[in-house]
Amino acid sequence: MSTHRLRFKLNGADRDLEVPADRLLIDLLREDCGATGTKLGCGIGVCGACSVLVDGELVSACLVPAVFVDATAIVTVEGLARDGALTPLQDSFIREGGFQCGICTPGQLIAATALLGEHPRPTRDEVRSWMMGNICRCTGYYGIERAIDRAAGAR
Amino acid sequence: MTTVAARSSSILTEPEYRIEGRDKVTGAARYAADVAMPGMLHAAFVTSPFPHARIVSVDASAARAVSGVRAVITGADTRPARFGRRLQDWPVLCWERVLFIGDRVAAVAADTPAIADEAARLVVVEYEELPAILDSAAALAEGAPILHPDSATYAYAGGARPERSHQNIQGHGVREHGDVEAGFRAAHRVYEHTFVVPRVHQAYLEPRASLVWLDGERVRVVTTNKAPFALREHMSASLGIPEARIVVDAGHIGGDFGGKGLTPDEFALYHLARATGRPVRSVMRFADDVQGTNTRHAATITLRTAVDRDGRILAHTSRVVFDGGAYAAGKPVATLMPGDAMLTLAGYRLPAARVEATTVYTNQVPAGHSRAPGQPQNSFAAESHMDLIARDLGIDPLDLRERNVVRSGDIDITGSAWHGTDGHVLLARLRAASRYDVRRKQTDETDGTGLGVALGVRHVGRGRASTVLRLENGTLELHTGVSDQGGGAHTLFQRIVASELGVPLDRVRVVREATDAVPSDPGVGGSRVTPVQGSAALDAARKLKARLTEVGGSLDGDHRLEVTGEASQEGHESSMYGYVLEAAVDVETGVVKVGRATLVADVGTVINPVALRGQLEGGFVFGLGQALMEELLMEDGRVTNPNLGDYKLPTIADAPPLDIELITEHPGPGPFGAKSVGELANPAVGPAVANAVEDASGARVMTMPVTAEKVWAALSARR
Repeated sequence: MSTHRLRFKLNGADRDLEVPADRLLIDLLREDCGATGTKLGCGIGVCGACSVLVDGELVSACLVPAVFVDATAIVTVEGLARDGALTPLQDSFIREGGFQCGICTPGQLIAATALLGEHPRPTRDEVRSWMMGNICRCTGYYGIERAIDRAAGAR
Repeated sequence: MTTVAARSSSILTEPEYRIEGRDKVTGAARYAADVAMPGMLHAAFVTSPFPHARIVSVDASAARAVSGVRAVITGADTRPARFGRRLQDWPVLCWERVLFIGDRVAAVAADTPAIADEAARLVVVEYEELPAILDSAAALAEGAPILHPDSATYAYAGGARPERSHQNIQGHGVREHGDVEAGFRAAHRVYEHTFVVPRVHQAYLEPRASLVWLDGERVRVVTTNKAPFALREHMSASLGIPEARIVVDAGHIGGDFGGKGLTPDEFALYHLARATGRPVRSVMRFADDVQGTNTRHAATITLRTAVDRDGRILAHTSRVVFDGGAYAAGKPVATLMPGDAMLTLAGYRLPAARVEATTVYTNQVPAGHSRAPGQPQNSFAAESHMDLIARDLGIDPLDLRERNVVRSGDIDITGSAWHGTDGHVLLARLRAASRYDVRRKQTDETDGTGLGVALGVRHVGRGRASTVLRLENGTLELHTGVSDQGGGAHTLFQRIVASELGVPLDRVRVVREATDAVPSDPGVGGSRVTPVQGSAALDAARKLKARLTEVGGSLDGDHRLEVTGEASQEGHESSMYGYVLEAAVDVETGVVKVGRATLVADVGTVINPVALRGQLEGGFVFGLGQALMEELLMEDGRVTNPNLGDYKLPTIADAPPLDIELITEHPGPGPFGAKSVGELANPAVGPAVANAVEDASGARVMTMPVTAEKVWAALSARR
């Protein structure tokens, strides 16, 4: 199989890698870059666990071919906190019970970060419609909603 | 949106902040699939496409010839090894017959997952198809094929396996108390209803993953199994390796919901690691998990109840048949039935009852444990049955429950005296919190909205546990074998120890360790963590205080002390909870929309307020999934919706407003009077929905889930 050279930014750091043409973005992140914060869930783009931002756009890393991210900037859960300081959203997820087992949390945080980028003070309907693509089996979503509300208020 | 009302506050006024919170929100938290080793190989499995077949031959030569393949093993290499939590009936790899679609015949270790998958496809297995048992009724029919003719040779942990009347039975139980015949003779009315509950999956989002390697004499295992010490025991029994040589390391568990007490991969991975001398990892695809591990049991439940003129129950009989699938390996309890298989009408005063429950072998996906095992099935039947009785007698459903609910000392379905929540208190609180009497007048069939009531009961967790607490130069460290599956165990331990010792939370570190470094632990399950493992943490703190007194020292002194906290909870305390839930039914389409729900739960003392609320909220939505949408669709033994695109789970848009009221003033047997909540909220959601749907529309659905199609069909039948 042919390979492709990819140069991109991952959470601000330059990356330069040679990968097979059929590599998926999730494997590029987890296996090639060792950035295991992004989680594999359903593997078919339904559950949102592997949500990442590619040039600011919310995508499911389990669906995107790695070659598509050449010359882009990717943000994963590892790139949210700056110099060890949690974002208001990350802190709210802890205080409001926005997670339990934590497996969907990286995707929830990435999706919610994108939401607050678009709607800094989202209505309840905006939250529910935006976050519908991120399944959580533990919390019943109430804690996630509270966390987003709290973070939106803190901004 | 939820609200919580509690009458007493937490024992600790400090806000709860998850110990592992920072790791979980920054991506640093380590789950099994995140662990890689240098030189690691990847496993793939060859699985049966038939529900029941004889293996004629296996030819792995083409698979072995693939570049990058390091080992291919078959049932011939692993026979006669079988594994299981109580009964070891599941072959590591099959060598003679396959018993379900997904049963494993061979395993491959290769340099990449893609090469392993390719090689697995090249293993040629010749099968001779055999007649299959596809439903539980067929299992005991005359002439049914015997699925486990050699079952007498299977290892069964902990004594002799209970007698069975038929070889296709996994487990069976009968219990009777009081004069059942007299109860039915004296009846004003007798009601009999049959309910059907399908297979569902636990649907944790974390893929099952395990990594096994040999480290000199030691076998090292990294896994998603939530009971690492039990896995060590099962591996030892199945593989013939002393427990002391097996080290199991389970990190964060990415959701369990009862399913991750059984992991089928580690046994074959051990053989692959031995064959190659390299670490071998398996990360299961969601679809393979659904088709190949263990689901919740499907059940057919028939309830028969005799009542007097006022609706008081005189006698009850029930018959439950659970479809156990191809292997009983997933069930840890001695009866080889789901834990609460025999609680068919729980929470009520029953002067006389006869309960019979059976788990049978079929050629379906094995069934194991799932959040509150057996309860969603029995609760759906019982609480629907109660509503049907109330309607027929013209008694309000909440009133009927008040007339029959257990109070302290009453004999319940177990034939023993009830120890737990006063049912009158629970129902009175539920009536008030839901404003039942006012809303009852506002909701009815004329506007397509209705109220559903359901009552639920769950025992407080039991068992034994121990934990180590160390004080070294003022630093406190609790060492535990508990792997947190999301319930907040480590934060709980921290709060208990800090509270008992009167120190700030951050002075107590909680360190989870592998099986070679800490005392044996029963794992997360059975509503056990707070009452049992939490009590061990409290015991450790008390012992440390006692040791400090002995040596005349203080927590801040220059000491090195280590104590082992122990706990044993064998009491039979139970908690009760109840729902009032509103539903709207579109009579043209049958579509159900669940509105505001009220949950009142007897939780005892609250230690982790955030985690407790999360367990109740999450339990409610977990139950709502089973109530409205979840069902593994089976066709000739194959799951036809084995992925999250087709097997729908609730999303944020499906979560209705939920008001929670906690009963905290009746202390339980756990630390500081705590009880358990992890399995307290999910079972009764199904019947609450079904009851609300009938109240709203007149449509009664006797099978789960309550889908628009079924509601529409029931409405059509009435027209």
